[in-house]
Amino acid sequence: MAVLLATSFSNISLAADVIRIAITGPFSGGSAPMGVSMRNGAKLAFSKINQNGGIVIAGKKTKVEIIERDDEGKNDRGALIAQEISSMNNVSAVIGTVNTGVAVMGDKYYVEKGIVKIITPAAGSASMTQWSKAGVNNLPIFRFAAHDGIQAQMVVEQALKLGIKKVAILYDATNYGVSGRDDLTSQIKKQGNKLQVVALEKFAIGDKDMTGQLIKAKAAGAQAILIWGIGPELAAVAAGKEKLGFKVPMIGGWTLSMSNFIDTAGAAGNGALMPQTFIEDQSIARARPFIQAYHTMYGGSKIPSPVSAAQGYDAALLLAQAIHEAGSSNPSKIRVALENLKVTVKGSIADWKKPWSTWNPANVETHEAFRRSTTVMGQVKNGRVVLANSADRAVLERSGSR
Amino acid sequence: MDPYFSALVQMAVSGGLMGMAYALVAYGFQLTYAAGKAVNFGQGELVMLGAFTGISLTHIGLPYWVSVIGAMVSGAALGWFVERVAVRLAFQQRNEGWILLTIIIGLFGVSAAENIWGRDDMPYPAPWPDTPLDLSGISVTWHELAIAAGALGIMALVELAKRYTMAGIAVQGVSADPDAAELCGIRSTSAISLSWVVSGIAAGFAGTIIGPVTTVGPTMAAALTLKAFSVAVVAGFNSGFGLLIAGILLGTTENLSGFVLGSGWREAPGLVLLILALVFRPQGIFGKKIIKKV
Repeated sequence: MAVLLATSFSNISLAADVIRIAITGPFSGGSAPMGVSMRNGAKLAFSKINQNGGIVIAGKKTKVEIIERDDEGKNDRGALIAQEISSMNNVSAVIGTVNTGVAVMGDKYYVEKGIVKIITPAAGSASMTQWSKAGVNNLPIFRFAAHDGIQAQMVVEQALKLGIKKVAILYDATNYGVSGRDDLTSQIKKQGNKLQVVALEKFAIGDKDMTGQLIKAKAAGAQAILIWGIGPELAAVAAGKEKLGFKVPMIGGWTLSMSNFIDTAGAAGNGALMPQTFIEDQSIARARPFIQAYHTMYGGSKIPSPVSAAQGYDAALLLAQAIHEAGSSNPSKIRVALENLKVTVKGSIADWKKPWSTWNPANVETHEAFRRSTTVMGQVKNGRVVLANSADRAVLERSGSR
Repeated sequence: MDPYFSALVQMAVSGGLMGMAYALVAYGFQLTYAAGKAVNFGQGELVMLGAFTGISLTHIGLPYWVSVIGAMVSGAALGWFVERVAVRLAFQQRNEGWILLTIIIGLFGVSAAENIWGRDDMPYPAPWPDTPLDLSGISVTWHELAIAAGALGIMALVELAKRYTMAGIAVQGVSADPDAAELCGIRSTSAISLSWVVSGIAAGFAGTIIGPVTTVGPTMAAALTLKAFSVAVVAGFNSGFGLLIAGILLGTTENLSGFVLGSGWREAPGLVLLILALVFRPQGIFGKKIIKKV
């Protein structure tokens, strides 16, 4: 009994000596490849930091303690988890969220308590614009992903580059799909209305048969399919295209790089184009150490979602640096430090030099880390994502700030 | 052909072929209902578990054919298990507890699948070529043809076995009159048990032909059970031919309504068909009216 008491007391005293960071995301279900990769990437960074004794906070090495929560990609579950974490009172920061709907439903709890959250890899525009629309000040939510605005811009650019005139837009009926559809249509307008949308078709999560939507697209003479959805349904679209002999390019959000699209679609997925912030290619010098460390720690020869893993890793490094610069586990101090990072952080994607700035509700870019110029186009080729345009290699190699 | 019309035909054909899979699952209901007046409300779960078993076998490097046999064996074992632990007990106590018990075992099956194979949908690798066949403008995949051939093949085999093997005749005897069959020396419990085993085999096999088209995941079960049950009710519980017609009808209307009204309306006509059948022809379109003498 005495021993038990002693250990439990020592735990309490220890609690002050660790910094608690939550990682949330879908570790099961259709979005799991992204959630699991993001979690693994972030944990890889924190385990490296802990091996060196932890984050130096006010001259004292402090270990990182990770809290993991699986939101299954479900909005209601995500909201419950956000409520739970924000009521723990000793969590300094959160990394995660794959599904935009989860961010829309749950992030208000973090904002109320001022808990810092770095959203990665959720890309839907709504997860940041909801705060600019509400005019929230001192926002503790940061994003570390190429948001859909950038992605939609690149998708439209790519279609124009391929000389396409008529497109079909397919999207899933979730927050992510619908906001992707809106981003695409507004980008088409912005880029001079050179693409004619001949079909606008939605599908539901869990749909296996997309022939109906594809027949309409084909009959309308679409020369490309612009698509916003997640892995399993994207694979069903690829299979449907194959079935109908509808051989037009599929260009869409970065979810086309999900392993459950690539593996399920098989040969039918070849050629699909999507924006990427990271390519799992060991010939890219900057990416190599991270890719090797990932496989040493988790095994396998292919990261389920390389973009998520690299973003999780870099986000964790940035957060650790901010905690160090804040010299405190206090969330509001960490927020200010994230907005004013002094030291350039060498990540797997880039050298991050002050990626965020002081939040301005009129300009979401202040809390967005990625820009168009730092994102590249990837293409599915025999089960992997490779660079679509070899000129983009320079963007990924570039050691300068992004 | 007018493009809209040919699109409609395409949707109808795809739906009809998928509908034959519903018919095969519904056939499992019919088999056990004929012999023991009970059905497995976890039939969709047997399909799912059979498919997952098959996928696991292909993952360890076995060919598709072996995985099909594996799925059928696991279906048979599960069918036997459900009858033994759920249905027989309830019948001995002369209550309707089997309805709930089969649902519960099915839910256990879903939990087990989530824990063993995870919540994600997995592709079922099949050896058929990926290139579709073009039948004068209508695309049909080999996977879809495999559904049609498989469903027809299994149903034909079972129907033949029912008529020309001793065991089959025994099951028919029990289904006609269990007491009279017992007097002739047929053990009705064994005959009922056999019908559940065959029903399980049909479910496991269905998993191996549906899987390559829809992918396999724990969530596929509930929808399949509901659709197959609708097919069985619409067709009536004693007509194999009727099942095929009802299955094709359901698959076709499902696809057409999804196409014409929008993908959100896919499931609606199946439910409407079920309601109409229950209101106007509770014994099923192809069923015979059963007169219960009290």
